[in-house]
Amino acid sequence: MPVSDLSHSLPPPRLRSLFLLCFKIGILSFGGGLTGWLYQGFVLQQRWIDEDDFASSLAISQMLPGANVVNLVICMGEQLRGPIGALSCVVGFLVGPFFAVIALCQVFDALAGFALLPAISDGVAFAAMGLLVVMCIHGLRRAMRFPPSVAIVVVTAFLVGVLEMPLIPVVLVLAPISVALSWRRA
Amino acid sequence: MRFDTLVAIALVFIPFSLTSIGGGSAIVAGIQHEAVTVHGWVSSREFLDLFAVSRAAPGPGMMLATVIGWRVAGWLGAVIATLALFVPSSMLCYAVFKLTNNHRQKRWHRAMREGLAPVGIGLIIAGIISLFRLSHGGPSAIAIIGLAAAIFLWMPRFPVLGVLVLGGLVAALAATGF
Repeated sequence: MPVSDLSHSLPPPRLRSLFLLCFKIGILSFGGGLTGWLYQGFVLQQRWIDEDDFASSLAISQMLPGANVVNLVICMGEQLRGPIGALSCVVGFLVGPFFAVIALCQVFDALAGFALLPAISDGVAFAAMGLLVVMCIHGLRRAMRFPPSVAIVVVTAFLVGVLEMPLIPVVLVLAPISVALSWRRA
Repeated sequence: MRFDTLVAIALVFIPFSLTSIGGGSAIVAGIQHEAVTVHGWVSSREFLDLFAVSRAAPGPGMMLATVIGWRVAGWLGAVIATLALFVPSSMLCYAVFKLTNNHRQKRWHRAMREGLAPVGIGLIIAGIISLFRLSHGGPSAIAIIGLAAAIFLWMPRFPVLGVLVLGGLVAALAATGF
């Protein structure tokens, strides 16, 4: 597919177009899968970003702290229009969900008298935990290629999840160890 | 008092912003500890409700911070929590992307990418454990989690919102004792 060849010749998008595309994806992206939406919008439909640039931005977004998709729109905004482009993307992306999540909270409160609500809420939370389980399965599969990574996964989960140690000190200790292990492997 | 609360919200979420490796799922356990146990902003029940709401709403799951801020201190609390959670990590990402994107093939960049990934996965597992502990998780909870995971794993095109609605319905049916 010569999609990536075409993208280089196109003029950079207007800030308003960046904002609107991110706004649309942000407000419509019920229940995740946002990376797929962004790929569809930026790479396939608008051809603003080519495939390789998208993949490398995604890797950086996943490696760094922060919501992966927010980091991803920042990288693409910067690449297309510099700092103001990054700002247009991130604000466009978050403004819709900000109001939507509060609105949903109010709907939830309005239904508080409904006897089945706690059970339904639990069920939604359990289904959402299934989403996390799948992320863990994919991540563990990748970690299997290098056994010390599996040990890092297990130790992190045990200290924070089972022993309930505070997350931040655990990350500050384990992250450098894990990076050092990968460095020696490479 | 109100000002103190807003400062407390910012001080809780800014460090989480910079430790949320792998995204918002990685800091659920930490946010739960701070919001429920340390500050007593919400009960365990409310926390689980807010988690469900933040996952059912559009946008990143990290909007959990927005609704906690809103619960604790209204609109201003929501704005402070959102900014505290998104601004530090966003600025870091911007700086790193700008400075290092040309060094992707270098050994240190690869070691950093590969080294941080397992920490992120471990934190997500910790999040599942602490959420499960908060919920009144019995056999039906494990069944719903497993069913949802199976759908997400083997039918990736199935709409996520549909799975969440299904989870709510199955739990409601189980509660009425069918």
